[in-house]
Amino acid sequence: MNIPLDSKTGPSMQEYYTETPCTWCDNCGDYGIWSATKQALVESGLHPWQVLLCFDVGCHGNGADKIQAYTFHGLHGRVIPFAAGAKLANPNIPVIAFGGDGASFSEGVGHLVHGIRSNYPMTFVLHNNGNYGLTTGQASALTIQDQPMNSSPNGIPERTLRSMDFVFSLEPTFVARTFSGDIPQMVEILKAALQHRGFAFIDILQTCPTYNKFATHQYLLERCKSVGEDHDTSDVKRARELAVDTSKSIATGILYQNENIPSFYEHLKPREGKKTTAVQEVERVDVSEWMWEFV
Amino acid sequence: MAYAVSFALLMHRVSLKVTGAQGQGVNSVGEICGKGLKQAGYCVFGYREYMSLIIGGHSSYQIDVSYERVESSEVQCDIIMNFNHYGFEQHHTEVKDGGIFLHQTPMWKFTNEQNAYFAEHNITVMYLPVEEMLKKLKAPQILSNMYITSIVWMLLGQSAEVLKELVQEQFGHKGEKIVQKNYECIEEGMTFLAEHPELKPVEMMQPDPKWKECLYLTGSEAIGLGLIHAGCRMYTGYPMTPASPLLKYLAEMQNKTGMIIKQAEDEITAVQMASGAMLMGTRAATGTSGGGFDLMTETISLNGIIENPLVVFLFQRQGPSTGLPTWTGQGDLHLAVGAAHGEFPRLVLGVSDAQDGFDLMPEAFNYAEEFQTVVIIVADKQIAEGLYTQEPYDLTKAEIRRGNLVTDPAELEKLTSADRYNPAAKDGVSPRWLPGAKAATYCAQGDEHDAEGNVSESGENAIAQMEKRMAKMEALKKALPDPDVYGEQKSPDVLLVSWGSNASAIHDALKHEAFTKKKIAYVHYSYLWPLKTEKLHALAKKAKTSILIESNYQGQLGRMIRQECGLAFDHQILKYDGRPFFYNELVEKLSSALS
Repeated sequence: MNIPLDSKTGPSMQEYYTETPCTWCDNCGDYGIWSATKQALVESGLHPWQVLLCFDVGCHGNGADKIQAYTFHGLHGRVIPFAAGAKLANPNIPVIAFGGDGASFSEGVGHLVHGIRSNYPMTFVLHNNGNYGLTTGQASALTIQDQPMNSSPNGIPERTLRSMDFVFSLEPTFVARTFSGDIPQMVEILKAALQHRGFAFIDILQTCPTYNKFATHQYLLERCKSVGEDHDTSDVKRARELAVDTSKSIATGILYQNENIPSFYEHLKPREGKKTTAVQEVERVDVSEWMWEFV
Repeated sequence: MAYAVSFALLMHRVSLKVTGAQGQGVNSVGEICGKGLKQAGYCVFGYREYMSLIIGGHSSYQIDVSYERVESSEVQCDIIMNFNHYGFEQHHTEVKDGGIFLHQTPMWKFTNEQNAYFAEHNITVMYLPVEEMLKKLKAPQILSNMYITSIVWMLLGQSAEVLKELVQEQFGHKGEKIVQKNYECIEEGMTFLAEHPELKPVEMMQPDPKWKECLYLTGSEAIGLGLIHAGCRMYTGYPMTPASPLLKYLAEMQNKTGMIIKQAEDEITAVQMASGAMLMGTRAATGTSGGGFDLMTETISLNGIIENPLVVFLFQRQGPSTGLPTWTGQGDLHLAVGAAHGEFPRLVLGVSDAQDGFDLMPEAFNYAEEFQTVVIIVADKQIAEGLYTQEPYDLTKAEIRRGNLVTDPAELEKLTSADRYNPAAKDGVSPRWLPGAKAATYCAQGDEHDAEGNVSESGENAIAQMEKRMAKMEALKKALPDPDVYGEQKSPDVLLVSWGSNASAIHDALKHEAFTKKKIAYVHYSYLWPLKTEKLHALAKKAKTSILIESNYQGQLGRMIRQECGLAFDHQILKYDGRPFFYNELVEKLSSALS
């Protein structure tokens, strides 16, 4: 693997560097995801000014200004529709949305459902650390049911949401799972997601050394097993089984991909054959023909 | 009836109301007559009432017609056509003296009181044998509409030949057979009228050919055309009356315009998508009614801090919660002005009719982009669904102003990240540039941030950024036009103040001879926040009486005016029953305030 750290010709890691100091806890999984994101963008040949990175609210969202690029830091739970709107306005710009398990499976779960269903041409990275870290460790819908957490000392009464079963029920076109300690795998998955035709869902199991004492770095390191090159990513049934069954090990890698489904944008009849983007089309439009329809 | 008695003194206008169950063909008859009369050289205003149901709820379509401008409805009509008997109770008193009350309910017996009322007011009541006609012609139910149309059309003094031409125009593409069947219905209508000489056509005024070239369209269609004209390339929404007609029009136009139309999964999605599209650099808008707008408010606040242009429509209806979902009102002005947490600059615009429904759209985007903030456009159900006779729009005057948007490569190269939210920028308006532009990058940061968009929690920075953003509000206020003044410009005796759709009824009412000789100034606000009051205050000093007219309970604009310049009104004409101001109702209320 050849990472251009500082290159005169193509994009480099240096370009994505910012002096803003990181504010995450020691050993936070965000460091790994942050590094992998930059590396994937560089290896995809993208300069910081060529991308839009959209962040939800949470620990990961505090990374919005820790990477030099066009970035956006929005509201809790709402990153997917914002990113989708941006992407539709200018489909030439790669758009990645980042959100946590709290934002994506509670506050903004409707947006995840419709993001997958709509198959927007964008990437969504789930920072899945099994809790609300930034608000000091409350249970999320993905926290194990009886785990005592901040504001639920007896554990939460609700059953844990089976996130992968849920995602597969929505007929996604790209599902990958990886782990915040495996930078090379994250890079490969992110690069593939950036090339994907529609909505790429990446579940990154992220360590939270401060509040998630269960799924630690060591735990994930021992249990995450790549599906390997022999895995058939077109087999949705097998992919779902692998995704859901984590009893013995946790299957990682690109679990499922279907490039035959057109993206939301490709489905838009008014955009068929258009060489321009909505961003390029802002001008005074002659409406005389349509106005006279009312005479 | 006071309204009817004073009619002879009023402007010359004739009105027709068609009522019945939703889905019975009420709109079809109303539309053909409305469009037809416009083409015959009359100014027509169409007004629809209906309930929040699909089929069976009571509905009506009223057209008010004149040779001069008419843009409101009368309480009482010259002709009322009832598709079913449910309207009898409500509508029999809504016929003018000497008017016509038509129905198609066989063997119906009116009550003694109703018959006495008809006799006292010289109202001609007539049963139309619709079912018999259908049987005779072996025509399907749908053609009853043409039969009814032909009768009311001729009672409005119009010729059957012109109606046939309209039929050819409207149904010609469906084939000769269908056109012929419609003609037969029209001829049956002629026969019926010939057999009933007691049904005398209404005395119509002479038409004025200038209306023929005019458009006949709803406020929603006017707004939609204006958005397209303004270079809006994306519209997002979630169905909600009375915002849905705009979504529907733009969606129907999408294959012609190339616009991206998204019916979102909720209003939060709709406003987030529009925000993302605006950040990327296109012109996008979203629209909803009060409840949906409540859901959008957090995102509106977000756009305030990231200094992102955004255009949001708030189509008002009456009441809190679901309220009266298909009726009109102006109770959301304070909502628009005060919505969303934190303090940030915003512009609130009020649409009044089909003219500025079109004209204000480019300006909404211009101000949004020039001041890099939120523009809320307030309209209401009356505008959204009212049908206006409208002079063709001037398509040469709209400007596209994008403010401090940097696109030139040489200029882009000079930018640093810290230019984006530079607190020293003149009037707080710092350069804006778009993702994909080869330039220094920045973070569009929803947390309080420094000049580059990096999170900063320092008190000094918080002050600098708040003052930067709010400086835009001051500059915006200076840039906005003063309110419009109609009538007496210099030294009025009477000052009227209003906003939004009330303007139409006010314009009509002021033509009444009770007011034409008075020195009245009508101050109309289209730019509602920030509120400019200098001109108003100058006129108020001279006026002996001031009257506020609003369709809400609290007199919300009046409160804002008092807050901004201390002016209190002598009279308030307020209405909150879900209905717009009717022409003669307003004449009476104004007369009583001035007596």
